[in-house]
Amino acid sequence: MTALPRLSTVFLAAITTLVAVLLYSPLAVPIVSSFFTIAHGNVDWSSPTLATYVALAENHDILAALRTTLIVGVCTVILSVVSGTLLALYYHSRRSGRTLLQFIIFLPFLMPPIISGLALLIFFREIGLERSLLTVVIGHTVFVLAIVYRTVLMRLQSMSRTLVEASYDLGATGWQTFWRIVLPNLSSAMVGGAILAFALSFDETMITILVTGTQSTLPVRLWAMMRLGFSPDINALVALILMFTVLLCVLAARFLIPRQVATERT
Amino acid sequence: MNQNTDLLTLRSVSKSYGTVPVLHDIDLSIKDGEFLTVLGPSGSGKTTVLRLIGGLEPLTSGEIRLDGQDISRMPINRRPFNTVFQDYALFPHLTVSGNVGYGLSVRHVPRKEIARRVAEALELVQLGRFTDRFPAQLSGGQRQRVALARALICQPRLILLDEPLAALDLELRRQMQEFLKSIQREIKTTFLFVTHDQEEAIGMADRICVMQAGHIRQLGTPHELYYKPNCEFVARFFGENNLVAGKLGSVQGELRSIETALGRLVCSIRDQPHLKTATDGASAFAAFRPEALHLADAKDTENRFSGTIADMAFAGSSTVATITAGADHAGQRLRLRMPSRVDGSTLKSGATISLAFAPHEGHLVLA
Ligand SMILES: Nc1ncnc2c1ncn2[C@@H]1O[C@H](COP(=O)(O)OP(=O)(O)O)[C@@H](O)[C@H]1O
Ligand SMILES: [Mg+2]
Repeated sequence: MTALPRLSTVFLAAITTLVAVLLYSPLAVPIVSSFFTIAHGNVDWSSPTLATYVALAENHDILAALRTTLIVGVCTVILSVVSGTLLALYYHSRRSGRTLLQFIIFLPFLMPPIISGLALLIFFREIGLERSLLTVVIGHTVFVLAIVYRTVLMRLQSMSRTLVEASYDLGATGWQTFWRIVLPNLSSAMVGGAILAFALSFDETMITILVTGTQSTLPVRLWAMMRLGFSPDINALVALILMFTVLLCVLAARFLIPRQVATERT
Repeated sequence: MNQNTDLLTLRSVSKSYGTVPVLHDIDLSIKDGEFLTVLGPSGSGKTTVLRLIGGLEPLTSGEIRLDGQDISRMPINRRPFNTVFQDYALFPHLTVSGNVGYGLSVRHVPRKEIARRVAEALELVQLGRFTDRFPAQLSGGQRQRVALARALICQPRLILLDEPLAALDLELRRQMQEFLKSIQREIKTTFLFVTHDQEEAIGMADRICVMQAGHIRQLGTPHELYYKPNCEFVARFFGENNLVAGKLGSVQGELRSIETALGRLVCSIRDQPHLKTATDGASAFAAFRPEALHLADAKDTENRFSGTIADMAFAGSSTVATITAGADHAGQRLRLRMPSRVDGSTLKSGATISLAFAPHEGHLVLA
């Protein structure tokens, strides 16, 4: 870095700032305006207030949607972490069919959500599964599986093979090696993957709209509210979702830093 | 613990990875309580030998016997051996005592006993103060000792060490060599120690097994390997040596002559019957150590030849002369090592000198 001439450093900083402002300022607008009321279609900047948040807390539709989102999120996390970890272990064990398996896992994540959603919808119709929270959970799991799988697999691959060998060498059985050596070394990756999975499930809209029954998740609710017009509680809701998502991302980053580095600092 | 009984025997063991053969027909006996070093250049198959014994890899053919019982198919976790891995393989999520106690805890040894034996083992490797640290908080030498304690605590019949000192700097390596040797004397467990460093091997081993390209070339004490190498590879690999090619001549008691570019040389064949029976005219090398070569005086009647000093190198306690000898003093490079003296050597580069070595200090190896 020291080799960079001073002028180009300044230039670089300016560009970075500009990009950051362009990218993130739209996010600031709803957060700021959520603390003001809207009168006659205009934001009233004169008196900051928490009124929109109070209104939100009293909106039963929204609270119900929040509850649905949390239920779906938790179920999705449990399902995707368990199956993602098992699939990563399978891939890592170098058994047959691993490349095809990996391709299938990544497909729903890489395809446009509307295609994934439609495919799921047709599939549920074919097997006669009513649209409900269950179908939403299945849809979300299929979608976020790739993230958990990838996160756990990366940790597995960075784990020294000799750790497992050392465990056997010291007399441990396969189960003991799995529970006492492999799993503890994967746990932070699993927690990190779980948080990312929850964040993705929390935001997911397209697939949810297609496969849900009568119940709405928060983003679906938001979508419905926006079609009826721009109301102040939308600002508050967006602000809350934003803050929550940022919090999740910070948490995920913490868990995905390798443990080695984390302990060295203490 | 009887040094003369065989603990472990490898019988015509071969190993291939896929279709690539890595070990060819290895025969090896490890005696109870000895410090056996496997020495060889990188890629010679040393690690593979350890992994086969430890059970980390299946044999392609042959068998491994422990106390005479075939254990070739015994699973890793049932073999009474423990390994000190080259990268230590400490469990990063367990503390030092968690690591050291692991082998006992997976065998459901009571907690109290584990605590007592962990404390003992850590005392033995002088790490008593580090019980609650994590591996990431230890230095290389300390990790090394944790790995050793973790292997020792299971009271294995045999400890397998794969280049355990390779990652340490020179000073620490010296200390750890002495330390390992003293621990082995104290606990009297059999050590199988792999290294590619011949100085390390000479310093530590009771016996050395020299490997090359998947074959065992020679097995013997450091002294035997140094003074009676049985092939060109060992003669060149193990310590500094002068090798002069020639054709075998006649046998006179414990000596045999060889016709070389330096003339007729006479070397010892004591305790090496295969050199006595080798046919006349067979290709061979006369081999003599740089410290056996000296300036000829009136007493030297055999193995005399002249050479030109190409270079003199001061190396602390000794000084090494590089000499060209043979036809026109060009064909053959030799080294002569002599004790250094404070007022310097009288030998100068470019001087022509008369050299000799005593017949009993020369030996022969078949080409
Ligand atoms: N898992 C493996 N698959 C294929 N070849 C291997 C494997 N492990 C070792 N080899 C080969 O076997 C030979 C001996 O290796 P190794 O026993 O590790 O030698 P050393 O420990 O003496 O350096 C080398 O040529 C190496 O490339
Ligand atoms: Mg090796």
